[in-house]
Amino acid sequence: MIRFDRRLLTNFDWGLLFLVLVIGLMCLANLYSAIYPNDSHGTPVYQKQLYYYLMGFMLILAIISVDYKIFLQLNYKIYAAIIFLLLFALFFGSSQSGTQRWINLGFFNLQPSEPAKLMLVITLASYYSSKDPDKGFTLKELIVPSLLTAVPFLLILKQPDLGTALMLGFIFVSMTLFVKLKWQTLLTLLGICASAIPLGWKFFLKPYQRQRIETFLNPESDPLNTGYHIMQSKIAVGSGSAFGKGYLHGTQGYLDFLPERHTDFAFSVWAEEWGFAGSLFLLTCYFAMMLWGINIADSSRDKFGTLLVIGIISLIFWQAFINLAMVMGLMPVVGMPLPLFSYGGSSLLTTMAGIGILLSIRMRRYQKPS
Amino acid sequence: MRRFIQLIYKSDEAELVTLKKRVDIATAVILFLVAVLVARLWYLQIHKGSEYQHLSENNRIRVQKIAAPRGDILDRNGKIIVTNRPCFNIVWIKEDAPDPDVVIKRLAAILNIDISELLDRIRESAGQPRYVPMRLRQDIDWKTLVYIENHRLDLPGVRIEAVPIRDYLYNNFASHIIGYPGHISKKELESSKSDEYQGGDQIGKMGLERIFEKNLRGEQGKRYVEVDVHGFEQKQLQNQEPLPGNDLQLTLDLDLQLAAEKALDGKAGAIVTMDVNSGRVLALASSPPMKLKQFLGGISVKNWKEHLDDPLHPLLNKAIQGQYPPGSTYKIVTALAGLSEKAISPQTISYCTGSMTLHRRRYGCWKRRGHEAIDLNRALSESCDVYFYQVGQKVGVNKLAQYAGSLGLGKKTGITLEHEKSGLTPTKLWKKKNRNESWQEGETMSVSIGQGFNLATPLQICNMTATLANGGTLYRPMLIKAILAPEGKLIEQFEPIIDGKALGTKRSLDLIKKGLVDAVNSKHGTGGQAKLEEITVAGKTGTSQVVRLAQYRSVPEDQVPYKYRDHAWFTCFAPADKPEIAITVLMEHSGHGGSAAAPLAKQVLEQYFKIKPDASEGDS
Repeated sequence: MIRFDRRLLTNFDWGLLFLVLVIGLMCLANLYSAIYPNDSHGTPVYQKQLYYYLMGFMLILAIISVDYKIFLQLNYKIYAAIIFLLLFALFFGSSQSGTQRWINLGFFNLQPSEPAKLMLVITLASYYSSKDPDKGFTLKELIVPSLLTAVPFLLILKQPDLGTALMLGFIFVSMTLFVKLKWQTLLTLLGICASAIPLGWKFFLKPYQRQRIETFLNPESDPLNTGYHIMQSKIAVGSGSAFGKGYLHGTQGYLDFLPERHTDFAFSVWAEEWGFAGSLFLLTCYFAMMLWGINIADSSRDKFGTLLVIGIISLIFWQAFINLAMVMGLMPVVGMPLPLFSYGGSSLLTTMAGIGILLSIRMRRYQKPS
Repeated sequence: MRRFIQLIYKSDEAELVTLKKRVDIATAVILFLVAVLVARLWYLQIHKGSEYQHLSENNRIRVQKIAAPRGDILDRNGKIIVTNRPCFNIVWIKEDAPDPDVVIKRLAAILNIDISELLDRIRESAGQPRYVPMRLRQDIDWKTLVYIENHRLDLPGVRIEAVPIRDYLYNNFASHIIGYPGHISKKELESSKSDEYQGGDQIGKMGLERIFEKNLRGEQGKRYVEVDVHGFEQKQLQNQEPLPGNDLQLTLDLDLQLAAEKALDGKAGAIVTMDVNSGRVLALASSPPMKLKQFLGGISVKNWKEHLDDPLHPLLNKAIQGQYPPGSTYKIVTALAGLSEKAISPQTISYCTGSMTLHRRRYGCWKRRGHEAIDLNRALSESCDVYFYQVGQKVGVNKLAQYAGSLGLGKKTGITLEHEKSGLTPTKLWKKKNRNESWQEGETMSVSIGQGFNLATPLQICNMTATLANGGTLYRPMLIKAILAPEGKLIEQFEPIIDGKALGTKRSLDLIKKGLVDAVNSKHGTGGQAKLEEITVAGKTGTSQVVRLAQYRSVPEDQVPYKYRDHAWFTCFAPADKPEIAITVLMEHSGHGGSAAAPLAKQVLEQYFKIKPDASEGDS
């Protein structure tokens, strides 16, 4: 089935790969600075991240060597496997600071909620591409995809990992809005969402999560505890000014005022040291990547491919947007990495797999439906 | 595969086209949101850039922890046993030291220690934020403190911190019970909930300090201070005072526990004293004690080895973890079973020739000449073994176990202490299960005088004695009277818990009590050395044999090596007619209960009834 076709190579999307490479280099340089001066034991995070990047490129190679339509075939197997891993993490996973997110594989702590995001993209793309109602989807037809989303959503919420669970919701909403909905359906859904917010506030959010949101809405109420992270992050970003303090010269990270500065708050280190110019450059890279992706969606020859691309783009975009908005104090603190830039193997490999799928779809755009 | 490809392409081209129309909407959404981010960046970095720059240079907020003093530990009358005192530590703030090597060398010279010792400490806490003080040396003396304070300018990065530390007002008083706090370990840190503890925090490591950690701990205070780029404090923003922990009021009586510990001084053994009408433990001493001060802030290897290698086992709380054959104190159980099962009556007479034979094996009485004709009362007071061999034979081992269980033997008493041992009350089933052998009749003989497989802790024997004394109510031994807020307000009070009722009639119990009164007060009683003039004491002696090598079997006791000598028991209650307290003494490897244990019980009794030792001795 897998024939090597020279056109695959000529259609290879070097531009997208180059963008990933540029962001990757910025990420590694930034991680080096984030933990500088490094005086802890063990492998430093930038080195581990480099290994994850190398693994990520191998993963991309593996993914592009097979036709992406295989995901349509494997769809429910992937779904079942991820649900199993999520259950496993919940019951037998290693807990860190009160959450059950990780499965210890010895050399690597797998966080199954990360691949779960990509899994949901594949599942929804398969489902929506197999149906084509003339006048758009009705509420009844949305029951199946809602349930498919709800299962991993609840499992991840239970860990608890509000950020990732939220991400699944964003993917579902983005992809569902992208396929055609009846406008009555849309209105009903809006109504349900509006009424679900107070319920979710009351029953699903843990007190600390509620407090974070309250703090965000009214930062004066608690300037020194929960708001501490956001305030320090804003100081770091803001003090970068136009051209930054210079590489390895950021003081907020150096003096440990910035929490989580190699993971969720990696961008504040970058913004402090490279200023508005550097931040704009990084933002431009992400923006270019998104436009590139949309172009791939546009050039795809089949519905499954288009939906897959839209799902992956929404996955990367929403994570990046929420992370950046949080770091800049536009949103409450939720655990959300900046894809390709924050330290973390599970998140990086998931994003790289997504990029691999994009590349795979791009390479095969000439294939005519038979 | 074909079918599958058809599945994909069953949608027509038009469908794909409408789908792609929405691509433009998606692009617009992305463009808008990116614009929002860029605008925000502009606002933070360009519009407000210089303001934030100023903040980052001059206005840094640091959070400093203020350790909360742990709650006091009080005796039952509110007398303080353990409290806190200020302790001065040398800490190291990496960030403030531009030239660490020189400073560390200087500090090592001041402290007169090897530089590697300091470097080890610094290496231990690598990976912590640079501004977090790391402790180099704990509890320095005044001279060093003054010297370092005077040479502050030569020692950048070195600071002195004052924190509360445990102050043991009575040294090793009830050391096994109280335990000690220490620095939280990596393991404890990982298993605690997030935000609950941080590195360098104190946490109860052993004993009540550990069990009641939540109550004793208090709440850390915080200081928010502005510091400049060099880490110097600019001003204090906010101060959140620490909340001291709650006080723990024990049921222990300071004077009684001190008397018990004094009686045990230098020996290996345990003394337990209980209020017979509530199960409140008034004294629970195990000797030798742990040297608590050495454990504070981490015990040195040398001191730890000393504790480990001591042949008298100071780390063991012998009162709840030492399991010994109960010896003749178990005759209380055998007598109760015999009377209640109607195997004997008070009038039953046995004839003790100094031994009895079963299946051609000789079972001796401690009195080789024999007690001759003997009834229950004398059998108890003179501790005749042959009499109880016969009772045990008639009743059987399973019945004995039933009565023992109803007096609290063979299972954990449930006192609020960790690692309590359950002792052992053998049954036929137990032997089948654990040894895969059937029960031998001869073993019943050993069990009926408290030897053989029988094991009990001093606390269990004391609880049994208390149950006998109060007429059959088995209380759960309790150690905690109340938890009090720092200002003295009562938070929680603990009430006695009844765990069961002794099998057998009150008459049987009274008959046994009478035998115990005579054991202390009659001419031939074995417990005469616990006798008081003013108060009638009832007690039972016991000598528990230690399995010894054949070569020492017929050697006089004082020539047998220490570890093969018998354990001495004495358990008693007083006053006999209206019992208030029960006292149990166990002396490891010290010979006979009557001579080695009973005098110690007397010392505790004298303290309880406030009798001057001189006066009572002068009278006798």
